[in-house]
Amino acid sequence: MPKRVFCKFFAHGACLKGEHCEYSHDWKDPPNNICTFYQKGLCAYGSRCRYQHVKAERAQSSASSSSIISQQFVVSDSISLPHSSSTSSKGIAFIPGAVSELSALSRPFVLPKPPAWKQEYEQSDFLDGGDVGETSVTPADLPICSFAAAGDCPRGEKCPHVHGDLCPTCGKHCLHPFRPDEKEEHLRTCNKKHKHLEALKHSQEIECSVCLERVLLKPTAAERKFGLMSECDHPFCISCIRNWRSSSPTSGFDVNSALRACPICRKLSYFVVPSVVWYTSKEEKQEIVNSYMAKLKSIDCKHFDFGNGNCPFGTSCFYRHTVKPGSYVWKHHRPPPRRPTPRRSNVVEMDALLDMFEHLEGMECYSPEDLDSEDTNTWEMGLLFSLMGFDTSDSSSDEEFIF
Amino acid sequence: MMDFARVQKELQECSKDIEGSGIRVTPKTDATLARLVGTIPGPIGTPYEGGTFQIDINLPDGYPFEPPKMQFATKVWHPNISSQSGAICLDILKDQWSPALTLKTALLSVQALLSAPQPDDPQDAVVAQQYLKDYQTFVGTARYWTESFAKISSLGVEEKVQKLVEMGFPEALVRGTLESVGGDENLALEKLCSG
Repeated sequence: MPKRVFCKFFAHGACLKGEHCEYSHDWKDPPNNICTFYQKGLCAYGSRCRYQHVKAERAQSSASSSSIISQQFVVSDSISLPHSSSTSSKGIAFIPGAVSELSALSRPFVLPKPPAWKQEYEQSDFLDGGDVGETSVTPADLPICSFAAAGDCPRGEKCPHVHGDLCPTCGKHCLHPFRPDEKEEHLRTCNKKHKHLEALKHSQEIECSVCLERVLLKPTAAERKFGLMSECDHPFCISCIRNWRSSSPTSGFDVNSALRACPICRKLSYFVVPSVVWYTSKEEKQEIVNSYMAKLKSIDCKHFDFGNGNCPFGTSCFYRHTVKPGSYVWKHHRPPPRRPTPRRSNVVEMDALLDMFEHLEGMECYSPEDLDSEDTNTWEMGLLFSLMGFDTSDSSSDEEFIF
Repeated sequence: MMDFARVQKELQECSKDIEGSGIRVTPKTDATLARLVGTIPGPIGTPYEGGTFQIDINLPDGYPFEPPKMQFATKVWHPNISSQSGAICLDILKDQWSPALTLKTALLSVQALLSAPQPDDPQDAVVAQQYLKDYQTFVGTARYWTESFAKISSLGVEEKVQKLVEMGFPEALVRGTLESVGGDENLALEKLCSG
């Protein structure tokens, strides 16, 4: 019988068995194109699978015994999946001999003849397999039908599995009737997901008033983000608004009155929050801002440097100030003196502060470049020297050090 | 680096509403979008009524984060516009610029400036003095300047159109080109021939 099914290795020109192959090498014979994974309800390829997705009852025997489809309209009440328990238990016992023979001849692996499932055929379902033998099965332990959970179960009423309750948000039978925790969890996440999708749909239309483009149609993912002004509700893309706010003071704009202001209503905003969606209500905005703040609070402040640095924002810093044992703050209970900034005079200190604010806003790009590396190096060198007992401020000691 | 996509969009937006606002923005040359010419009609009820004023626009590299540089190409008698250079004294073109403003809104502001002079913050002291001390003379001079400089292009336009049409160019194209070069017949001919 297997002789009538076309060999798939031969079809690829790769059958090593030649004359001895148990499958047909005649192009006229029909190939076995049935996906066995689908029959178990587990094909990961879905509609992209290159094998036929035939329901189990139709292709019952053809799946593994390789008989022709037209011959096997076997009607069975319980849906049985061949290949499963039989190959996993009996089949393995059968294989060792076959394997040694195959490996010796370096042949591709094929099911031994006669197929293992025929030896001892159990009318048990693959999915139910584990539960059959057990006596104490609570309903909560039973899995729900994955087809119904995905949207539609082709077996309908006749399905041997528990069909989940209908989720009102996603419209799928995916709520396990006997697992309340899971049910609640699903309802919560599903609701959240749904809201996010709605917001995303809403956000599609929104244009940035600076580049005049739709924010979510920008070419790169990094650009497809809104910049939420803390004090007003005008939409911009994050790159545009950051660009504007970080314009150099030399451009003639006043930092406090022009650059920090909304380009549209000129209301001053102290910070900008990046977000992938635009909000429709005050509460939504607050939620986005809060989660952003929470995210920032989980990151250690670079300026504070675990108690060794001086953060210009002090206690109102958005980032976490963790004091490490042995650090300056830990020892002296006050922040270390601010290191001199030779590039800036005291007059523009406010600008410098706001500049740093801008750096902090660029949370995603909170990288080592944030700190002026040259600055840090000289400062660290100084620290090192002072630890070694050298006085870097005294030039004569420098000379002594050299000679 | 300048955002040419935005400039392109602004030009499209502006050409859509040419009937409503009367404001026109066209590239000076085909080579670049950084040099443009804006045209605004003189506001009705002012000495500038009936005139068409041309403004040279230079877009800096930082546009739209830096304001466009605008200067009257047409001579204007106005306290806030230099009668010599055409420099405009307008806050939104300087420190009050916002990236949400566009060329069109900036030109609208310039048009509004024509109808509401600010002699206390003058660009041209002579004009401002005249505006404050002898308003009648100011109106007369402004009107005279409008007649002599802002209307030249429209004088004899029909003749020029006829001439160019006779050379074999379609009339609509001729009118458009003439308008874009400010009524200069030779420039129009050059432009028609090149493209």
